[in-house]
Amino acid sequence: MSTLTYPEPYKISAGALALLVHGVFFTLLYFGFSWQMQPPQGMVVDIWENLPQHEEPAPAAAEPARAEQPAPPRVEVKPAPARAEIDVPVKKKVKKKKKEEKDEVIAKLTPKQLAAQKAAYAKRLQQESEQQAREAERQAQAQAQAAATGRMVDEYVAKISAKIRRNIVAPPGVSSKIRAEFDVTLLPGGLVLESELTMTRSSGNNAYDSAVERAILKSQPLPLPPDAALFNRFRDLHLKFSPDQGN
Amino acid sequence: MEVTHDLSFVPLIQNASFLVQMVMGLLLLVSLMSWWYIFLKMFAIRQARNQSDAFEEAFWANPDLNRLYKEYLNDSDTAGSLERIFAAGYAEFVKLKKKPGVDNTDVMDGTRRAMRATYQREMDALESHLSFLATVGSVSPYVGLFGTVWGIMNAFRGLANVGQATLAHVAPGIAEALVATAMGLFAAIPAVVAYNRYAHDTVRLSSRFESFMEEFSNVLQRQP
Repeated sequence: MSTLTYPEPYKISAGALALLVHGVFFTLLYFGFSWQMQPPQGMVVDIWENLPQHEEPAPAAAEPARAEQPAPPRVEVKPAPARAEIDVPVKKKVKKKKKEEKDEVIAKLTPKQLAAQKAAYAKRLQQESEQQAREAERQAQAQAQAAATGRMVDEYVAKISAKIRRNIVAPPGVSSKIRAEFDVTLLPGGLVLESELTMTRSSGNNAYDSAVERAILKSQPLPLPPDAALFNRFRDLHLKFSPDQGN
Repeated sequence: MEVTHDLSFVPLIQNASFLVQMVMGLLLLVSLMSWWYIFLKMFAIRQARNQSDAFEEAFWANPDLNRLYKEYLNDSDTAGSLERIFAAGYAEFVKLKKKPGVDNTDVMDGTRRAMRATYQREMDALESHLSFLATVGSVSPYVGLFGTVWGIMNAFRGLANVGQATLAHVAPGIAEALVATAMGLFAAIPAVVAYNRYAHDTVRLSSRFESFMEEFSNVLQRQP
Protein backbone atom coordinates (compact mmCIF):
# COMPACT_ATOMS: atom_id res chain seq x y z
CA MET A 1 0.00 0.00 0.00
CA SER A 2 1.89 3.04 1.22
CA THR A 3 5.61 3.04 0.77
CA LEU A 4 7.64 1.62 3.60
CA THR A 5 10.57 4.00 3.29
CA TYR A 6 9.84 7.65 3.41
CA PRO A 7 12.08 10.07 1.60
CA GLU A 8 14.31 12.06 3.90
CA PRO A 9 15.10 15.14 1.87
CA TYR A 10 17.11 16.82 4.61
CA LYS A 11 19.87 14.26 4.95
CA ILE A 12 22.56 16.36 3.35
CA SER A 13 21.64 19.67 4.91
CA ALA A 14 21.38 18.03 8.33
CA GLY A 15 24.82 16.49 7.88
CA ALA A 16 26.25 19.84 6.81
CA LEU A 17 24.71 21.52 9.84
CA ALA A 18 26.12 18.87 12.15
CA LEU A 19 29.58 19.41 10.70
CA LEU A 20 29.10 23.15 11.07
CA VAL A 21 28.23 22.80 14.74
CA HIS A 22 31.38 20.80 15.37
CA GLY A 23 33.47 23.15 13.31
CA VAL A 24 32.24 26.12 15.30
CA PHE A 25 32.76 24.30 18.57
CA PHE A 26 36.32 23.29 17.83
CA THR A 27 37.20 26.69 16.44
CA LEU A 28 35.96 28.23 19.64
CA LEU A 29 37.98 25.74 21.63
CA TYR A 30 41.05 26.31 19.55
CA PHE A 31 41.07 30.09 19.48
CA GLY A 32 39.01 31.21 22.41
CA PHE A 33 40.06 28.70 24.96
CA SER A 34 43.81 28.41 24.75
CA TRP A 35 44.91 27.07 28.08
CA GLN A 36 47.89 29.31 28.25
CA MET A 37 49.88 27.85 31.04
CA GLN A 38 52.92 30.08 30.72
CA PRO A 39 54.26 29.75 34.23
CA PRO A 40 54.96 33.16 35.72
CA GLN A 41 58.56 34.20 35.35
CA GLY A 42 60.54 33.22 38.38
CA MET A 43 60.91 36.28 40.50
CA VAL A 44 63.62 36.86 43.06
CA VAL A 45 62.68 39.42 45.62
CA ASP A 46 65.33 41.01 47.75
CA ILE A 47 64.02 42.54 50.90
CA TRP A 48 66.07 45.44 52.13
CA GLU A 49 65.76 46.37 55.73
CA ASN A 50 67.55 49.62 55.13
CA LEU A 51 69.04 50.93 51.96
CA PRO A 52 72.65 49.95 51.38
CA GLN A 53 75.17 52.39 52.74
CA HIS A 54 77.01 52.67 49.47
CA GLU A 55 74.00 54.46 48.09
CA GLU A 56 75.23 57.67 49.66
CA PRO A 57 77.49 58.77 46.82
CA ALA A 58 74.77 57.94 44.30
CA PRO A 59 72.41 60.81 45.15
CA ALA A 60 75.34 63.19 45.13
CA ALA A 61 76.17 62.03 41.63
CA ALA A 62 72.56 62.23 40.69
CA GLU A 63 72.08 65.84 41.72
CA PRO A 64 74.51 67.39 39.28
CA ALA A 65 73.15 65.20 36.51
CA ARG A 66 69.64 66.31 37.28
CA ALA A 67 70.71 69.92 37.42
CA GLU A 68 72.38 69.60 34.07
CA GLN A 69 69.49 68.03 32.30
CA PRO A 70 66.72 70.54 32.86
CA ALA A 71 68.92 73.56 32.23
CA PRO A 72 71.36 72.66 29.50
CA PRO A 73 71.49 76.10 27.86
CA ARG A 74 73.05 77.69 30.95
CA VAL A 75 75.69 75.04 31.11
CA GLU A 76 76.49 75.42 27.45
CA VAL A 77 76.58 79.12 27.23
CA LYS A 78 78.70 79.91 30.23
CA PRO A 79 81.83 77.99 29.31
CA ALA A 80 81.60 78.89 25.67
CA PRO A 81 82.25 82.63 25.87
CA ALA A 82 84.98 82.08 28.43
CA ARG A 83 86.84 79.80 26.09
CA ALA A 84 86.19 82.10 23.21
CA GLU A 85 87.71 84.95 25.20
CA ILE A 86 90.76 82.91 25.91
CA ASP A 87 91.01 81.90 22.32
CA VAL A 88 90.60 85.35 20.92
CA PRO A 89 93.91 86.83 21.95
CA VAL A 90 95.81 83.84 20.65
CA LYS A 91 94.06 84.03 17.36
CA LYS A 92 94.56 87.76 17.30
CA LYS A 93 98.24 87.25 17.80
CA VAL A 94 98.29 84.77 14.96
CA LYS A 95 96.27 87.14 12.92
CA LYS A 96 98.60 89.96 13.79
CA LYS A 97 101.53 87.94 12.64
CA LYS A 98 99.74 87.19 9.46
CA LYS A 99 98.87 90.81 9.12
CA GLU A 100 102.47 91.78 9.48
CA GLU A 101 103.38 89.32 6.79
CA LYS A 102 100.65 90.61 4.62
CA ASP A 103 101.80 94.12 5.26
CA GLU A 104 105.18 93.18 4.10
CA VAL A 105 103.91 91.63 0.89
CA ILE A 106 101.11 94.02 0.08
CA ALA A 107 100.86 97.68 0.65
CA LYS A 108 98.78 99.03 3.47
CA LEU A 109 95.11 98.22 3.15
CA THR A 110 92.49 100.85 2.90
CA PRO A 111 90.32 101.46 6.02
CA LYS A 112 87.29 99.99 4.26
CA GLN A 113 89.07 96.77 3.56
CA LEU A 114 90.28 96.65 7.10
CA ALA A 115 86.72 97.01 8.35
CA ALA A 116 85.55 94.18 6.05
CA GLN A 117 88.32 91.95 7.31
CA LYS A 118 87.44 92.73 10.85
CA ALA A 119 83.80 91.86 10.20
CA ALA A 120 84.77 88.53 8.62
CA TYR A 121 87.04 87.81 11.52
CA ALA A 122 84.27 88.55 14.04
CA LYS A 123 81.98 86.20 12.13
CA ARG A 124 84.51 83.42 12.24
CA LEU A 125 84.95 83.95 15.96
CA GLN A 126 81.24 83.69 16.48
CA GLN A 127 81.07 80.44 14.51
CA GLU A 128 83.89 78.98 16.51
CA SER A 129 82.22 79.86 19.77
CA GLU A 130 79.00 78.24 18.55
CA GLN A 131 80.87 75.09 17.71
CA GLN A 132 82.41 75.05 21.13
CA ALA A 133 79.00 75.50 22.67
CA ARG A 134 77.71 72.48 20.76
CA GLU A 135 80.66 70.40 21.85
CA ALA A 136 80.05 71.44 25.42
CA GLU A 137 76.44 70.37 25.10
CA ARG A 138 77.46 66.99 23.75
CA GLN A 139 79.92 66.55 26.56
CA ALA A 140 77.24 67.44 29.08
CA GLN A 141 74.92 64.83 27.63
CA ALA A 142 77.63 62.20 27.67
CA GLN A 143 78.39 63.11 31.24
CA ALA A 144 74.75 62.80 32.19
CA GLN A 145 74.61 59.36 30.60
CA ALA A 146 77.80 58.27 32.24
CA ALA A 147 76.44 59.55 35.51
CA ALA A 148 73.25 57.53 35.02
CA THR A 149 75.11 54.31 34.28
CA GLY A 150 77.54 55.11 37.06
CA ARG A 151 74.61 55.51 39.41
CA MET A 152 73.20 52.19 38.25
CA VAL A 153 76.57 50.48 38.72
CA ASP A 154 76.99 52.02 42.14
CA GLU A 155 73.51 50.99 43.13
CA TYR A 156 74.03 47.40 42.12
CA VAL A 157 77.49 47.17 43.62
CA ALA A 158 75.90 48.41 46.81
CA LYS A 159 73.14 45.84 46.47
CA ILE A 160 75.66 43.07 45.89
CA SER A 161 77.74 43.92 48.90
CA ALA A 162 74.63 44.43 51.01
CA LYS A 163 73.34 41.02 50.05
CA ILE A 164 76.65 39.43 50.91
CA ARG A 165 76.85 41.37 54.15
CA ARG A 166 73.48 40.06 55.21
CA ASN A 167 74.80 36.55 54.83
CA ILE A 168 77.94 37.09 56.84
CA VAL A 169 77.77 35.26 60.11
CA ALA A 170 80.52 37.07 61.90
CA PRO A 171 82.32 35.19 64.63
CA PRO A 172 81.89 36.65 68.08
CA GLY A 173 84.32 39.14 69.43
CA VAL A 174 85.55 40.48 66.15
CA SER A 175 86.97 43.93 66.19
CA SER A 176 84.82 46.29 64.18
CA LYS A 177 87.83 47.94 62.58
CA ILE A 178 89.22 45.03 60.63
CA ARG A 179 88.59 44.86 56.89
CA ALA A 180 88.74 42.02 54.39
CA GLU A 181 88.97 42.62 50.65
CA PHE A 182 87.94 40.15 47.98
CA ASP A 183 88.21 39.96 44.22
CA VAL A 184 85.01 38.47 42.90
CA THR A 185 84.53 37.35 39.31
CA LEU A 186 80.90 37.20 38.28
CA LEU A 187 79.25 35.19 35.57
CA PRO A 188 76.21 36.44 33.68
CA GLY A 189 73.26 35.53 35.83
CA GLY A 190 74.94 36.53 39.04
CA LEU A 191 76.87 33.38 39.86
CA VAL A 192 80.34 33.68 41.34
CA LEU A 193 83.22 32.00 39.57
CA GLU A 194 84.45 30.04 42.55
CA SER A 195 87.95 29.36 41.26
CA GLU A 196 88.53 33.06 40.76
CA LEU A 197 87.36 34.10 44.20
CA THR A 198 90.45 35.43 45.91
CA MET A 199 91.12 37.34 49.04
CA THR A 200 93.31 40.30 48.22
CA ARG A 201 93.62 41.52 51.76
CA SER A 202 93.06 39.52 54.85
CA SER A 203 91.34 41.10 57.77
CA GLY A 204 93.77 39.44 60.10
CA ASN A 205 90.97 37.35 61.54
CA ASN A 206 90.79 34.01 59.77
CA ALA A 207 87.33 33.24 61.08
CA TYR A 208 86.00 36.51 59.70
CA ASP A 209 87.73 35.95 56.35
CA SER A 210 86.17 32.54 55.90
CA ALA A 211 82.81 33.84 57.09
CA VAL A 212 82.92 36.47 54.36
CA GLU A 213 83.96 33.90 51.77
CA ARG A 214 81.10 31.63 52.77
CA ALA A 215 78.71 34.55 52.63
CA ILE A 216 79.82 35.42 49.11
CA LEU A 217 79.17 31.88 47.92
CA LYS A 218 75.90 31.70 49.81
CA SER A 219 74.63 34.95 48.28
CA GLN A 220 74.56 33.54 44.77
CA PRO A 221 72.95 34.62 42.53
CA LEU A 222 74.08 38.14 43.19
CA PRO A 223 71.80 40.92 41.99
CA LEU A 224 72.75 42.29 38.59
CA PRO A 225 71.21 45.17 36.65
CA PRO A 226 68.63 44.09 34.07
CA ASP A 227 70.61 45.87 31.34
CA ALA A 228 72.99 43.21 30.02
CA ALA A 229 75.25 45.86 28.52
CA LEU A 230 76.27 46.88 32.00
CA PHE A 231 77.45 43.41 32.90
CA ASN A 232 81.03 44.10 31.90
CA ARG A 233 81.23 46.58 34.73
CA PHE A 234 80.43 43.75 37.10
CA ARG A 235 82.65 41.05 35.70
CA ASP A 236 85.45 41.78 38.14
CA LEU A 237 84.49 43.31 41.40
CA HIS A 238 86.62 44.39 44.27
CA LEU A 239 84.60 44.25 47.44
CA LYS A 240 85.52 45.34 50.92
CA PHE A 241 83.91 43.98 54.03
CA SER A 242 84.19 45.22 57.53
CA PRO A 243 82.20 44.08 60.57
CA ASP A 244 81.10 47.61 61.44
CA GLN A 245 79.35 48.14 58.14
CA GLY A 246 76.68 45.59 58.48
CA ASN A 247 74.71 43.83 61.02
CA MET B 1 57.90 15.47 31.50
CA GLU B 2 58.92 19.09 31.32
CA VAL B 3 57.49 21.45 33.83
CA THR B 4 56.46 24.02 31.26
CA HIS B 5 53.96 21.88 29.45
CA ASP B 6 52.08 23.38 26.55
CA LEU B 7 48.44 23.08 27.47
CA SER B 8 46.88 24.52 24.36
CA PHE B 9 44.25 22.52 22.60
CA VAL B 10 45.95 20.51 19.87
CA PRO B 11 48.98 19.19 21.82
CA LEU B 12 46.59 18.24 24.57
CA ILE B 13 45.00 15.74 22.22
CA GLN B 14 48.21 14.75 20.49
CA ASN B 15 49.97 13.89 23.73
CA ALA B 16 47.16 11.74 25.05
CA SER B 17 47.68 8.01 25.20
CA PHE B 18 46.39 5.81 22.40
CA LEU B 19 43.36 4.50 24.24
CA VAL B 20 42.30 7.98 25.27
CA GLN B 21 42.70 9.10 21.67
CA MET B 22 40.53 6.20 20.57
CA VAL B 23 37.87 7.18 23.07
CA MET B 24 38.05 10.76 21.85
CA GLY B 25 37.70 9.65 18.24
CA LEU B 26 34.72 7.46 19.07
CA LEU B 27 33.05 10.25 20.96
CA LEU B 28 33.66 12.66 18.11
CA LEU B 29 32.05 10.23 15.69
CA VAL B 30 29.09 9.67 18.00
CA SER B 31 28.71 13.38 18.50
CA LEU B 32 28.74 13.99 14.76
CA MET B 33 26.10 11.32 14.20
CA SER B 34 23.90 12.52 17.01
CA TRP B 35 24.02 16.08 15.69
CA TRP B 36 23.19 14.79 12.25
CA TYR B 37 20.13 13.00 13.63
CA ILE B 38 19.22 16.03 15.69
CA PHE B 39 19.02 18.19 12.59
CA LEU B 40 17.39 15.42 10.56
CA LYS B 41 14.67 14.96 13.17
CA MET B 42 14.27 18.68 13.57
CA PHE B 43 13.52 19.09 9.88
CA ALA B 44 11.36 15.95 9.70
CA ILE B 45 9.19 16.86 12.67
CA ARG B 46 8.78 20.43 11.54
CA GLN B 47 7.78 19.18 8.08
CA ALA B 48 5.30 16.70 9.54
CA ARG B 49 3.71 19.42 11.64
CA ASN B 50 3.43 21.84 8.73
CA GLN B 51 1.98 19.18 6.42
CA SER B 52 -0.54 18.14 9.07
CA ASP B 53 -1.58 21.75 9.54
CA ALA B 54 -2.04 22.20 5.82
CA PHE B 55 -3.98 18.97 5.39
CA GLU B 56 -6.29 19.52 8.36
CA GLU B 57 -7.13 22.94 7.03
CA ALA B 58 -7.89 21.51 3.60
CA PHE B 59 -9.88 18.63 5.10
CA TRP B 60 -12.19 20.79 7.17
CA ALA B 61 -12.51 23.42 4.46
CA ASN B 62 -14.14 21.23 1.80
CA PRO B 63 -16.32 18.29 2.57
CA ASP B 64 -15.66 16.58 -0.75
CA LEU B 65 -13.60 13.56 0.33
CA ASN B 66 -13.32 12.22 -3.16
CA ARG B 67 -11.55 15.33 -4.38
CA LEU B 68 -9.12 15.23 -1.47
CA TYR B 69 -8.31 11.64 -2.29
CA LYS B 70 -7.71 12.49 -5.91
CA GLU B 71 -5.40 15.32 -4.88
CA TYR B 72 -3.46 12.84 -2.81
CA LEU B 73 -3.16 10.43 -5.72
CA ASN B 74 -1.96 13.22 -7.99
CA ASP B 75 1.02 14.11 -5.85
CA SER B 76 1.58 11.44 -3.26
CA ASP B 77 5.25 12.44 -2.96
CA THR B 78 4.52 15.65 -1.13
CA ALA B 79 1.85 14.09 1.07
CA GLY B 80 2.31 14.25 4.81
CA SER B 81 1.60 11.62 7.45
CA LEU B 82 -1.93 12.77 8.11
CA GLU B 83 -2.77 12.76 4.41
CA ARG B 84 -1.44 9.24 4.05
CA ILE B 85 -3.55 8.06 6.98
CA PHE B 86 -6.56 9.68 5.40
CA ALA B 87 -5.84 8.16 2.01
CA ALA B 88 -5.42 4.64 3.44
CA GLY B 89 -8.65 4.90 5.35
CA TYR B 90 -10.64 6.38 2.50
CA ALA B 91 -9.37 3.83 -0.03
CA GLU B 92 -10.37 0.97 2.27
CA PHE B 93 -13.73 2.58 2.96
CA VAL B 94 -14.54 2.97 -0.73
CA LYS B 95 -13.45 -0.59 -1.48
CA LEU B 96 -15.55 -2.08 1.29
CA LYS B 97 -18.56 0.06 0.42
CA LYS B 98 -18.50 -1.22 -3.15
CA LYS B 99 -18.66 -4.80 -1.96
CA PRO B 100 -22.23 -5.95 -1.63
CA GLY B 101 -23.45 -7.48 1.57
CA VAL B 102 -20.85 -5.96 3.87
CA ASP B 103 -22.22 -4.64 7.10
CA ASN B 104 -21.69 -0.99 7.92
CA THR B 105 -19.90 -1.93 11.17
CA ASP B 106 -17.50 -4.17 9.25
CA VAL B 107 -16.81 -1.34 6.81
CA MET B 108 -15.93 0.97 9.66
CA ASP B 109 -13.80 -1.69 11.35
CA GLY B 110 -11.84 -2.33 8.18
CA THR B 111 -11.35 1.38 7.59
CA ARG B 112 -10.09 1.87 11.11
CA ARG B 113 -7.67 -1.03 10.81
CA ALA B 114 -6.26 0.35 7.58
CA MET B 115 -5.80 3.78 9.14
CA ARG B 116 -4.19 2.31 12.25
CA ALA B 117 -1.69 0.36 10.17
CA THR B 118 -0.62 3.50 8.32
CA TYR B 119 -0.57 5.42 11.59
CA GLN B 120 1.80 2.86 13.13
CA ARG B 121 4.09 3.12 10.15
CA GLU B 122 4.09 6.89 10.27
CA MET B 123 4.84 6.94 13.95
CA ASP B 124 7.65 4.47 13.44
CA ALA B 125 9.19 6.74 10.82
CA LEU B 126 8.82 9.78 13.05
CA GLU B 127 10.35 8.04 16.04
CA SER B 128 13.25 6.52 14.14
CA HIS B 129 16.72 7.51 15.37
CA LEU B 130 15.29 8.78 18.64
CA SER B 131 16.61 5.69 20.39
CA PHE B 132 20.06 6.52 19.08
CA LEU B 133 19.87 9.95 20.67
CA ALA B 134 18.74 8.38 23.94
CA THR B 135 21.62 5.93 23.88
CA VAL B 136 24.18 8.63 23.14
CA GLY B 137 22.75 10.76 25.89
CA SER B 138 23.05 8.07 28.50
CA VAL B 139 26.21 6.25 27.45
CA SER B 140 28.68 8.79 26.11
CA PRO B 141 29.42 10.37 29.50
CA TYR B 142 30.48 6.95 30.69
CA VAL B 143 32.65 6.42 27.64
CA GLY B 144 34.28 9.80 28.26
CA LEU B 145 34.72 8.95 31.90
CA PHE B 146 36.39 5.71 30.96
CA GLY B 147 38.91 7.61 28.83
CA THR B 148 39.52 10.03 31.67
CA VAL B 149 40.06 7.31 34.23
CA TRP B 150 42.49 5.59 31.93
CA GLY B 151 44.37 8.83 31.25
CA ILE B 152 44.61 9.68 34.93
CA MET B 153 45.86 6.19 35.69
CA ASN B 154 48.62 6.75 33.16
CA ALA B 155 49.40 10.17 34.59
CA PHE B 156 49.84 8.74 38.06
CA ARG B 157 51.87 5.80 36.82
CA GLY B 158 54.25 8.29 35.19
CA LEU B 159 54.44 10.01 38.55
CA ALA B 160 55.84 6.90 40.17
CA ASN B 161 59.07 7.25 38.21
CA VAL B 162 59.66 10.80 39.37
CA GLY B 163 61.44 11.26 42.64
CA GLN B 164 59.99 14.56 43.67
CA ALA B 165 56.35 14.71 42.69
CA THR B 166 54.85 18.08 42.01
CA LEU B 167 51.50 19.10 40.67
CA ALA B 168 53.22 20.10 37.44
CA HIS B 169 53.99 16.45 36.74
CA VAL B 170 50.41 15.24 36.96
CA ALA B 171 48.52 18.28 35.75
CA PRO B 172 49.12 17.85 32.00
CA GLY B 173 48.13 14.20 32.11
CA ILE B 174 44.97 14.94 34.00
CA ALA B 175 44.13 17.80 31.65
CA GLU B 176 44.57 15.47 28.68
CA ALA B 177 42.39 12.87 30.30
CA LEU B 178 39.68 15.34 31.17
CA VAL B 179 39.33 16.29 27.52
CA ALA B 180 37.72 12.88 27.06
CA THR B 181 35.07 13.64 29.69
CA ALA B 182 34.48 17.02 28.13
CA MET B 183 33.89 15.40 24.77
CA GLY B 184 31.56 12.82 26.27
CA LEU B 185 29.51 15.57 27.85
CA PHE B 186 29.61 17.55 24.64
CA ALA B 187 28.08 14.58 22.83
CA ALA B 188 25.61 13.73 25.59
CA ILE B 189 24.04 17.05 26.53
CA PRO B 190 22.59 17.98 23.14
CA ALA B 191 21.51 14.39 22.58
CA VAL B 192 19.54 14.31 25.84
CA VAL B 193 17.96 17.69 25.20
CA ALA B 194 17.05 16.73 21.65
CA TYR B 195 15.68 13.37 22.73
CA ASN B 196 13.37 14.90 25.31
CA ARG B 197 12.22 17.55 22.90
CA TYR B 198 11.56 15.19 20.01
CA ALA B 199 9.89 12.56 22.18
CA HIS B 200 7.49 15.23 23.34
CA ASP B 201 6.93 16.43 19.77
CA THR B 202 6.18 12.94 18.46
CA VAL B 203 3.76 12.27 21.31
CA ARG B 204 1.88 15.43 20.42
CA LEU B 205 1.84 14.49 16.75
CA SER B 206 0.60 10.99 17.53
CA SER B 207 -2.27 12.26 19.67
CA ARG B 208 -3.13 14.64 16.87
CA PHE B 209 -3.18 11.78 14.37
CA GLU B 210 -5.34 9.68 16.67
CA SER B 211 -7.90 12.38 17.19
CA PHE B 212 -8.02 12.96 13.44
CA MET B 213 -8.62 9.24 12.92
CA GLU B 214 -11.58 9.33 15.32
CA GLU B 215 -13.03 12.41 13.69
CA PHE B 216 -12.54 11.02 10.23
CA SER B 217 -14.28 7.76 11.25
CA ASN B 218 -17.28 9.79 12.35
CA VAL B 219 -17.32 11.64 9.06
CA LEU B 220 -17.18 8.37 7.16
CA GLN B 221 -19.91 6.83 9.27
CA ARG B 222 -22.23 9.67 8.32
CA GLN B 223 -21.56 8.98 4.63
CA PRO B 224 -24.48 7.46 2.85
